[in-house]
Amino acid sequence: MSSIVKVDTIQENTSANGITVDGLNIKDSKLVTANSVVASNITADAINATKIADSSIENEHLNVLAITGHTAETSIADGDTILIHDASASALRKMTKANFVSGIGGTNTPSFLARANTNQTINDATSTQIVFGTEYYDTANGFASNTYTIPSGQAGKYHLYFYIDAYDAGDSLVRLIGSLYKNGSTAMESTSFFSEVNNRVFSSGSIVLDLSAGDTLKIHGYLDTADGSTSAAVGDSSEAHTYFGGYKLIE
Amino acid sequence: MAQLSKKIKLYAAANGVANIDFRSDVMLQDDGDGVVYIKEWNLDIAEPTVEQIASYETAGNAAEANNVIDATRRTEYLSLDKQMEMIYKDQKNGTTTFKDHCDKVRSDNPK
Repeated sequence: MSSIVKVDTIQENTSANGITVDGLNIKDSKLVTANSVVASNITADAINATKIADSSIENEHLNVLAITGHTAETSIADGDTILIHDASASALRKMTKANFVSGIGGTNTPSFLARANTNQTINDATSTQIVFGTEYYDTANGFASNTYTIPSGQAGKYHLYFYIDAYDAGDSLVRLIGSLYKNGSTAMESTSFFSEVNNRVFSSGSIVLDLSAGDTLKIHGYLDTADGSTSAAVGDSSEAHTYFGGYKLIE
Repeated sequence: MAQLSKKIKLYAAANGVANIDFRSDVMLQDDGDGVVYIKEWNLDIAEPTVEQIASYETAGNAAEANNVIDATRRTEYLSLDKQMEMIYKDQKNGTTTFKDHCDKVRSDNPK
C-alpha cells in the first residue's frame, strides 16, 4: 500500500516514547536517534563560531593548515602578536613581538667601563689601588671612588676585565701584577714577570664571578723595578690604556 | 722622598734580614691616594715605628740615587756584544779602548 499521511500534528501514543518514523525517533522537540544527523547533509559553512562551545577545540581537530594556510609574513613589527600558552593560567594568550623578544633576550646590564685619565705614580713593591678618573658608561651607577659596588637587586654572574699599562722612565720594570680585589681581598691575579728590565709592560685579566649585591670590586697594580724607583700606570685623556669594566651575564 | 720599600729594606738589613719578599714578608699598600703604608708585617723582627722608618730617609735617598746611577751605567756600558768587540780588538791591537770606555762611564756617573 502506498499512501501519504497529511495531518497537522502527530502526537506520541505512549507517554515518553515519542514517535518513530522509519527508525528516526522524534521526542520532546528533538531528534533523539543516534547518528541521525549525517555530516554530508549539513550545508557547507552552516555551522559558525556561535554553534561551537567555548574552549572546546583541541589540537586533534587542527591540521597544519591552521598555520600554513595563512598569508606569509617576512618581517615582524613590535606590535605584532603571537600566540602562547600561559602555563600559570593554563590558557592561551597573545603577546606582542616586543614583549616576547624582551622576555627571551634580556640585556647584559648592569655594565660599566672606566679608564685612567692620567698617569698614576706606582711606588716600588707596593700594591696600589688603580685610579679610574673617567667613566665610559655605568648603567646602574655602581661605580664610585674607583670601586664598583654591585647594585641592589643585581646579584648574579658578572664578567669582569681589566688592563694595566705600566711605564717606567728608568727602563727598570721587572714585574707587574694586576689584581682584582673583591671585598678587600684578592679574587684573581695576572702576573707579568721579566728576566730583563723593561720600559713598558702590561697585565690584563678577565674572570666570571658570582657576586652579591653590595660586593665591592677594585683593581690593584703591583710593580717591581730593578732600581727601586717609582713607575706609573698609564692614563690618557682620550684613549684607554689602563681600564676596568664588567657586565652582568644573562642567566 | 725615599720609597717606603727602600727604607724597610735598610731597616731590615740593619736588623739582620738580608732579603724581603714584598708579596709575603711585608705587604705595602696604596689605596689610590698616594699614601703608602704597611698593610701586613710578617717578618720575625719588630715592625718599625714611623720614627724608625723616617731615620732611614737619608740613607734611602742615597741608595735610590745610586740605583739610578747604576741603571744609567748599565745603559752606557753598551751591550755585551759591543763590549766583547772592544775587548777582542784591545787584545788584538794592544789598545785600552774597553778600559777607557768603562772609566769614562764611571767618571760620567759618579756615586
